[in-house]
Amino acid sequence: MAARPRVYRAEGVILRRRNLGEADSILTVFSGGEGKFEAIAKGVRKARSRMRGHLEPLTRSRVLVAHGRSLDVFTQAETVDAYRRLREDLDASAEALYCLELVDRFTEEREPLPELYALLLEALSLLEEGNGPAVTRHFELRLLALLGYEPHIDGCVLCGDRLPEEETLLSPGAGGLVCRGCRAETGGGRIVSVPVVKLMRFARRATMAEFVALEAPTEIEQELRGAVAELVRYHLDRDPNARRFVEGVSALHPKD
Amino acid sequence: MPEAGAPEPIARLIQEFSKLPGIGPKSAQRLAYHVLKAPEDDARALAQALADVKERVVLCETCFYITVSDPCALCDEEQRDPTLVCVVEQPLDVLVVERTGGFRGLYHVLHGSLNPIDGVGPEQLRIQELLRRVEAGQVVEVIMATNPSLEGEATSMYVQRLLQPLGIRVTRLARGLPSGADIEYMDDLTLSRALEGRQEL
Repeated sequence: MAARPRVYRAEGVILRRRNLGEADSILTVFSGGEGKFEAIAKGVRKARSRMRGHLEPLTRSRVLVAHGRSLDVFTQAETVDAYRRLREDLDASAEALYCLELVDRFTEEREPLPELYALLLEALSLLEEGNGPAVTRHFELRLLALLGYEPHIDGCVLCGDRLPEEETLLSPGAGGLVCRGCRAETGGGRIVSVPVVKLMRFARRATMAEFVALEAPTEIEQELRGAVAELVRYHLDRDPNARRFVEGVSALHPKD
Repeated sequence: MPEAGAPEPIARLIQEFSKLPGIGPKSAQRLAYHVLKAPEDDARALAQALADVKERVVLCETCFYITVSDPCALCDEEQRDPTLVCVVEQPLDVLVVERTGGFRGLYHVLHGSLNPIDGVGPEQLRIQELLRRVEAGQVVEVIMATNPSLEGEATSMYVQRLLQPLGIRVTRLARGLPSGADIEYMDDLTLSRALEGRQEL
């Protein structure tokens, strides 16, 4: 058996940190090449640790990792982007944390998903530039699509009929929009307005920057948020924890 | 895990010790046999200390620091400036700030930091209590001394936003280079903030 290399390189975003023992942490990284993985950062909670600031959650870092018996171990780390402006803005931090949690919950370890990684970087840099929740909406919809959960929104998902331009049922269980005739066959869902369906269609072909630039009216954005939340909840079988934080933070003051 | 063959009281003690952080089954065994061989007075003192901690130590109803009397000694000290409140994450942080000797205000212990992904929200911390304390009037400045981590910063920003309508001053500790550190290995965030906060020599 050929000896496998003792160390490997990865570049990724730190998703979360768990403390281990006195001074160590276990970090979850989402990288382009390796996918999601966990490794131990030894002594990282000591003041003099050389890696400490480079392995904070919500940091994009280049790391060198050594294979360990049970868990791998970080041997070097260097920040690529600390997303400083994002971190110093409570609303943007909340949106970003929500995106990180989605990635963590929707992915399996060591499953490379380079497109999702690129999407995450795009979302973080748009949040860093001061954009709002529209970033998260596009991120959620594209994440669902990349992982194979894209809702069918061109006609009824059950009978294939074209849909008239009116409010329609979005059924996460059925996997998309459902026409009036088929509604009885679904286990429920949420009625969505025409602009929301159009926004979802636009999200498929638009880049994240284009989607964010569209600046949909607040009530449409709210409605889209609810609809997408329902899709996420259906596929995860729960609500991400950070959603409550996003809501709590924005409830605290209307941004103006 | 109960030790096969060890008499029941010993096995129970081993099991209790192994619940402590950083104590594996071997260390737990060693500790248990140490207690067995130790003079009875020592063992009783240990048992009494353990019981006292749970029975006598409470949280101060004002600052939520650990104390045996409510209000705690810090809140009770008359020379302290009641217009200044230093907010920390953990009770131990109070001791560390006290050790500097440079702070003569009061404290408020949050008992944690916001961690939205792990589901630790504002309601799990003593944040509402801080709000009520500030609303009561006397406080002029709240100093956020949370950890310079993602969670600590989020906590500070959240508290700042919560207290904003009250029109008091909310500050946070400066961020810079720890003594004994190496510039070469400093992260960009710390270094750029240290640069901004540079001081005349």
